[in-house]
Amino acid sequence: MTVSTIPLDRTAPVGFSKGPALALIVLLLAAGLPLVTQDSFFIHSAIMVLFFAYMATAWNFLCGYVGQLSLGHAMFSGMGGYVSVLLFTTFGLSPWLGMIVGGLAAAALSVVIGYPTFRLKGPYFTLTTIAFAEIVRIWVENTDTFLGFHIKGAEGLVVPMVGESFAAFQFGGKIPYYYIILGMLALAILATLIMERSKLGYCLKAIRGDRDAAEALGISPTRYTLTAFAISAFMTALGGSFYAQFFRYINPERNMGTELSIDMALMSIIGGQGTAFGPLIGALILTPLAEVTRGYLGGTFLGLHLVIYGIVLMLAVLYFPKGVLEPLKNLAVGLFRRRNPA
Amino acid sequence: MDPFILSFAVVNGLLQGGIYGGIALGLSLIFGVLRVVNFAHGSFLMLSLYLSFWCWNLLGIDPYLSAIVTVPAMFALGYFVQSVIISPLIRRERALVVEPLSALLLTCGVFLVLDNVALMAFGPDVRSVQLSYYLPSLMLGPIPVNIPRLIAALAAILVAVGVSFWLRHSHAGRAIRATAQNRDAAAMSGIDVPKVYAVTFGLGCAILGLFGALISPFIPATPTIGLAFGIKSFIVVVLGGMGSIPGSIIGGLVIGVFEAVASQFVTATSAAIFSLGLFILVLLVRPAGIMGKA
Repeated sequence: MTVSTIPLDRTAPVGFSKGPALALIVLLLAAGLPLVTQDSFFIHSAIMVLFFAYMATAWNFLCGYVGQLSLGHAMFSGMGGYVSVLLFTTFGLSPWLGMIVGGLAAAALSVVIGYPTFRLKGPYFTLTTIAFAEIVRIWVENTDTFLGFHIKGAEGLVVPMVGESFAAFQFGGKIPYYYIILGMLALAILATLIMERSKLGYCLKAIRGDRDAAEALGISPTRYTLTAFAISAFMTALGGSFYAQFFRYINPERNMGTELSIDMALMSIIGGQGTAFGPLIGALILTPLAEVTRGYLGGTFLGLHLVIYGIVLMLAVLYFPKGVLEPLKNLAVGLFRRRNPA
Repeated sequence: MDPFILSFAVVNGLLQGGIYGGIALGLSLIFGVLRVVNFAHGSFLMLSLYLSFWCWNLLGIDPYLSAIVTVPAMFALGYFVQSVIISPLIRRERALVVEPLSALLLTCGVFLVLDNVALMAFGPDVRSVQLSYYLPSLMLGPIPVNIPRLIAALAAILVAVGVSFWLRHSHAGRAIRATAQNRDAAAMSGIDVPKVYAVTFGLGCAILGLFGALISPFIPATPTIGLAFGIKSFIVVVLGGMGSIPGSIIGGLVIGVFEAVASQFVTATSAAIFSLGLFILVLLVRPAGIMGKA
């Protein structure tokens, strides 16, 4: 069959020619950031922005395009983190390889979970993803040793220092981590852009639009959603490994807790799910809030950033159901037109 | 397995299960009428626990008497959340933009706000109420029964019966059921649908207000306790059947006994894993639940 029979989303390919150029400029500007400032707090915050943008992009790869809401993605992040840390501490395997192993394991887990659950609709699917993630988290929190690996339960794992080494994913300053996560984000967005214009992307959009109609056209919803789920889980696990290596510490609460799942989902939803750059916009808006309240207000206003996240999420659901990317784009186009009347 | 220990586990499981069922009632009621999965359900319970604690701590009100404060306060909060936050979404959905997940996301926002406002206001400390009198354990044959838990479990059954009766026989109850069946037809028959929704949401939260007061003697208040109870309520409601009042109690009892008996064989935390597994299994095999219409 040909995919051209599926009606194309007219809003998506606008600026197809300008988009990549603009993205390249933004990427170059981001790459130049450490030349402008080397302030440790600032670089740390920038890393967190990029990390959450990356995680939201990974979440969006599946959920944004299929239109299912997963609130369990943190389990893949935790899996990637734990596998890479354990392989490093037990066998001395480089985290670069360990994160790939963790990613593949997460992808396998996603297929096992996704195969039965994708038939569930709307809130039922969401509740199932929460249940799976909670099972994994509770299990890790209460397991000391598994197959000879010391998981150490709720206590978490510390990545031992071995000195500056590229192979061990340990660097002196924060700037190398900045470039690594920037590269990961660029690749994730590139993967999303390629997927959008591939058969997979068109099929996912068809499934989101009308699952039964898509199936009638010969698109196998299971096959395409599972492919996207596996890729999304793989990317999420890489992010989880990065997080573990960056903080040199991993525990079930931070790496596979519900809060992380919600963060990933709400950043892409607020930015604009189902768009390649929406999750980045969402993370750019929200993460600095978290970093500033954490950095300047310290422990006095614990949880303030999550209150703001909650309010922004409610406003976005009510007034910008497609995320803020589209209204922002329209605003930019409007301003541009006004200045250069055609 | 020793029959005494097993029967002890079953009795405790029934008590715990009744409490789960009572807490889940509001979630089921709200879903049945509004078709909204209230992600913030546990947060409302957390707030009522705090309210009950502060009534006792600051005003010296007995936790059981504090229900006089918590029930109306939670009703008002629920009424407010529905009419100010959720109702604009329902109005929009009527205009054909059907997105059932939006309501879940919206209440997820409410959950984030409530839980973290509590964290900011009260800090992460664990606060527990001390009853000023001693309630001896009731002996059921050789099995001791904890009185505060028994009170909460019996209250759950009473509330379920009361709410069912009220829904069946009162004018307001009929309006609620009519709205649940077909909101447009209900609106055309002169029912004030937005008000029915707000009252239903308020009622769902008021039940949580009552249980916040009833469980405060044995469940300490922490800002993060809501999510655990919320997830437990989802399990109970899915098992019993979304929207079914008796299903909520039955689902609660099943989960309570299941966990209590399972924790005789494995650790209590692994038992929690089993009940989550049971939840997934029910969703996959019979999404309508025990009492729901398939």
